[in-house]
Amino acid sequence: MTFLGFIFAQGLSALSQAAILFFIASGLTLIFGIMRIVNFAHGAIFMLGAYVGFTAAALTGSFLLSLLLAPIVVGVVGMAFERIFLRPLYGRRDGGAYLLLTFGLAIVLNELIRVIWGPQPLAAGIPDLLRGVVIVLGQPFPLYRLFLIALGVAAAIGVWQFLERTRAGLLIRAVSQNAEMVHALGTDVDLVRTGVFGLGCAMAAVGGVLAAPLVTAFLGMGTTVVIDAFVIVIIGGMGSFLGSLIGSILVGFVQVLGAYYFQDLALAFMYFLMLIVLVIRPGGLLGKED
Amino acid sequence: MVPKSWAGFCERLMLNAASGAGYRFEETSSRSLVDWRIGFAATAIIGVLMPFVLPQYSLTVLIEALIFGLLAMSLDLLVGYCRLYSFGHAAAYGLGAYSAALILTQLQLPLPAGIALAVLVTVVAAVPIAWICTRSTGVSFAMLTLAFAQLGYAMLFRFRDITGGSDGIVGIPRPAGPFGMSWFQGKTGYYYLVLGCLLGAYLLCRAIVRSPFGAVLAGIRENEAKTIALGYNTRAYKTATVVLAYGFGGLAGALYAAFAGFASPELFFWLVSGRVLIMVVVGGAGTLIGPILGGVFFVFLEHELSQVTDLWPLIFGSIFMAFVLFAPEGIWRLLTIRFKAVPDVPTADPSKKKSDAAA
Amino acid sequence: MPLLECKGLVRRFGALVALDAVDMSVDSGKIRAVIGPNGAGKSTMFNLITSVLRPTAGEVIFAGESITGLPVHAVAQKGIARTFQLCHIFPALTARENVRIAAQARDHRRWRFVAGADVLASSAVVADEALERLRLTRFTHVPAAFLSHGDQRLLEVAMALAQKPRLLMLDEPTQGLSLEETDRAVEILNDLLRDGNLSVLLVEHDMEVVFKLAHDITVLHRGRVIADGPPAAVRANAAVRSAYLGESE
Repeated sequence: MTFLGFIFAQGLSALSQAAILFFIASGLTLIFGIMRIVNFAHGAIFMLGAYVGFTAAALTGSFLLSLLLAPIVVGVVGMAFERIFLRPLYGRRDGGAYLLLTFGLAIVLNELIRVIWGPQPLAAGIPDLLRGVVIVLGQPFPLYRLFLIALGVAAAIGVWQFLERTRAGLLIRAVSQNAEMVHALGTDVDLVRTGVFGLGCAMAAVGGVLAAPLVTAFLGMGTTVVIDAFVIVIIGGMGSFLGSLIGSILVGFVQVLGAYYFQDLALAFMYFLMLIVLVIRPGGLLGKED
Repeated sequence: MVPKSWAGFCERLMLNAASGAGYRFEETSSRSLVDWRIGFAATAIIGVLMPFVLPQYSLTVLIEALIFGLLAMSLDLLVGYCRLYSFGHAAAYGLGAYSAALILTQLQLPLPAGIALAVLVTVVAAVPIAWICTRSTGVSFAMLTLAFAQLGYAMLFRFRDITGGSDGIVGIPRPAGPFGMSWFQGKTGYYYLVLGCLLGAYLLCRAIVRSPFGAVLAGIRENEAKTIALGYNTRAYKTATVVLAYGFGGLAGALYAAFAGFASPELFFWLVSGRVLIMVVVGGAGTLIGPILGGVFFVFLEHELSQVTDLWPLIFGSIFMAFVLFAPEGIWRLLTIRFKAVPDVPTADPSKKKSDAAA
Repeated sequence: MPLLECKGLVRRFGALVALDAVDMSVDSGKIRAVIGPNGAGKSTMFNLITSVLRPTAGEVIFAGESITGLPVHAVAQKGIARTFQLCHIFPALTARENVRIAAQARDHRRWRFVAGADVLASSAVVADEALERLRLTRFTHVPAAFLSHGDQRLLEVAMALAQKPRLLMLDEPTQGLSLEETDRAVEILNDLLRDGNLSVLLVEHDMEVVFKLAHDITVLHRGRVIADGPPAAVRANAAVRSAYLGESE
């Protein structure tokens, strides 16, 4: 009974981890699908979300409100970045420019955050509303983590339906398949791209707001996360939304089980996973062409 | 053929952009007005004279600057000559520094031998890293290099009894020898050691990029698929270049460790990788000289700015992004483009004219 | 024994069969042209021979040796040089450097990163020769990006020649060329092929070019060989005519 409970608890833990990862990775894969670039600043965006969320919660006194405000703010920042810096690059032959620009953004964001919020980590802790435990199969399980899973599932369904059922979603899918055709049919593709970039950034920001109570908001939290997100997107396939979901769950399990059984090597684990994945499938499993 | 006017200069820039060849054709098709040996000799002489001109404090900064210049040049081999963007070059720096730190504190080797051994260790460690990273290109390569640097950073804390954890290794000596040589133990002496290493490394890198091996790197940069189709095992060439880059980067790290007297985990930090990348791009990727100058100027700027404001990394990051957008060729190329002669493009086929005349 | 032999080459892309049991050979010193309507599988065949793609079944034998599945660069080292349908050159490098890198490819000293002056010199000589044969000498110091499309294609041929191959594979060498450029290209190719000991495998859409140059012709249609023989026979072949019905040249 207790063993089953243990397994269940580990599983739920992994799923809650996967939920946070999903918010980040899905944003990354959406951006790739529509722009064919890997947003290296995605980790920094996640971090920005955590910090903005912290401030929003402090100002409004409500965690749930910060969950709404931070993505909006960060989404706008993302759209501004895309509009000002990335759009001029579309004609360029050299793909390296995107890589360098998004890397530059990661550095600038990191410094900006340090200047605005200071070098010390910000600990807000889990909001009162979501504190406490729930007994699941004899094991205590944090309510917050259940909340994460619920939110992750809701977001996954929500975005999926958005992509499949709405006109905007259709446009997004179309542009990621054949941008020129969509443009020829009269749609402003640039606007779609800006919008999706903003959406991707907003998703990552949600991840940041959700992660902050667990790990605190600290400088450099983006670097590890961007590697995680990249691994997930590679596993699931660059540009595949479903793939980012599957990948997040897989990696969530790997991280949680790895941390439990191989504590010492926990940090190295993700890197080994990435090496293995990139060695086996440089293009991902469900992906579109890189 | 040399543009005699600003208009000619601008026309040249536009030709560059329009041709799609970017700004790279300058090297192979143009002839400089000044022989490179003259520039090199002049630089060497200026370098030798520096300790007599600069105050002691500035000499310290200059040593650091030269070390960073060397690190930047090592990254240029990858970024500028292969178009392999490494986001984890701090790993080379850190490996060199920690190897030197351990070697010099644990073994009783004279300084030059210790540094040389540290470089060797870095090169050997670089081989599997290079082989794995070159399996991918583009973003995947960048991520892999970053992952290795992060892994290195994490490993430092894991094996803290050897590496000293967050404290690092302190008290790194500069043992005398061989033959009781001790000129490098003082600051001025060490400066000459670093200067010598930088100049020597530059000569070596220059020879490498102008060699048959270097020509293959140019091919990989311009069109890797074609290079493979010609019969070159490009993966092997890329691996070798990464190893070379790590070697020179490791030299920079080793020189730093023995200079500062300590090695700490920050050396592996991704922001260090970022700084080096910025120096390369802003200085001028693919020129060797540009990144060296970029490294030197950035270290000096950083020292000046950090006394005035806390915002200097922000400023650097912004400058970097501006360059990527508006002047990706970098400062060195912008400065020297006036002095490169580009031949006119002939169009008519002389043999055709003959057949026309016959008909 | 033929220089190049393709035996039963099959290539599938999921449900699509791009090549179906294709047999083809190129004899030493001869020119074979592969023709066929769009989508017949000509470029796929090229990619299978040069190992850019792996065959689903079948093998490729070159000079008596199986080269099926070898890495791309190894195939080139065996003595096969190819040009690409979408012209592949090194745009920022001079025409001469383009060809020189090709010339250097089979030199066992190409690895030298120091003491390589003699390698550079000897490959430069070969490069200059190739440029001259293709009448591109006036572009020696001009970056390849500045050349006209037609000259770039000729440059690619010069690169292939500089590799000193035993088999030259040309993938639609006259595609995108004006009438004038095509005539010039054919003239140059004719000179090259008549006096060299080269064997050539040629994919072409332009029938006039094919009938001027080829000794043997293979006709592909929907991944299968529907005719194989000298030009006169192929011209008269009814199956070939019907496959091309409606094709404009």
